[in-house]
Amino acid sequence: MIKIKLLLLNVIFYTLFFIFSTIYIPLMIVILVLFALVIPERIVLRRIRRAISFYGKIIIHIFTFPFIRVKYEDRSSGDEKGPFIIVCNHRSASDAFLMACLPYECVQVVNIWPFKLPLLGWCAKMAGYLSVNEMSGEDFRKKTGKLLEEGVNIISFPEGTRSNSRQMKQFYSSIFRVAIKNKCAIVPLCISGNEQIPARGSGILQPGIIKLRRLAALNWENYKNCSPFILKNKVKDILKTELEQMDEEI
Amino acid sequence: MDRKKIEEMVDEVFEESFEIEKEQLSQEKGIFQDLGLDSLDIVDLIVALQKKFGVKIRDDNRVREIRTLGDIYSFIESLYKEGSFTIDKN
Repeated sequence: MIKIKLLLLNVIFYTLFFIFSTIYIPLMIVILVLFALVIPERIVLRRIRRAISFYGKIIIHIFTFPFIRVKYEDRSSGDEKGPFIIVCNHRSASDAFLMACLPYECVQVVNIWPFKLPLLGWCAKMAGYLSVNEMSGEDFRKKTGKLLEEGVNIISFPEGTRSNSRQMKQFYSSIFRVAIKNKCAIVPLCISGNEQIPARGSGILQPGIIKLRRLAALNWENYKNCSPFILKNKVKDILKTELEQMDEEI
Repeated sequence: MDRKKIEEMVDEVFEESFEIEKEQLSQEKGIFQDLGLDSLDIVDLIVALQKKFGVKIRDDNRVREIRTLGDIYSFIESLYKEGSFTIDKN
């Protein structure tokens, strides 16, 4: 029974995923290129990011139904003002798609390989995603500063690569330096339950429940006296404590 | 005696600038893997060490070879032996 479920999930998901991606992404690109001829760049970028978010929502909620359920929980205080730097733990390749749950205009900080994927990589480039290992530190600081100035939220996975387990890796400090420099609020976002959806080195999706929990923002006033090193560990501790609880719940 | 003092002073840098507890500091600890510093944090570490010992080490090529806390102790000790700084033993 479990094997049939697994087979059904993967056959249905990947069939729909490939069909939808090969139709939706080129169509989206054509439409947005046409828009770009008559609409200001900032608005076009906003629409690209919205289109990517819509694409992600379809992938994570529709194509995986009823085998995988994604639950997003917002624990913000309600009166928080963005733009935010959203800091997430990173257990699986599905994390990038799960960001569609966030109700914000976002740009992700990614590694080199997602940019090299056909179709998805093109979308990421068009949306202004930041391939952190392909730019200088100065360039990274300038681009993130400009995005925050424009009101765009930045999503970062400071472990740099998938942890492959429930144990978080050491954090890189670059995104926390950006937060300090721009006096930007940091939102910890915990993702639990997707370690096997899919597991690292495998494309096979396992049925299950994925939980995303957006925690209250850490405002600049709360961390202004922290060095980047101390700040990254502070945020890591917040994520770790919450993730332990979420893992138990699942 | 001087090596011991140097170790204490380096540990103070980690405790004060990085809030790493003294119990975590031993010479076999890797500064990347065990203590969690990255390449940008190393720049902050160099600045803090320069301030603590009153030496300029940023352009010293030996910095690139540092992997463990013990490497830092030895590096600072070699600077001391070269006469790059003195230690107030009080």
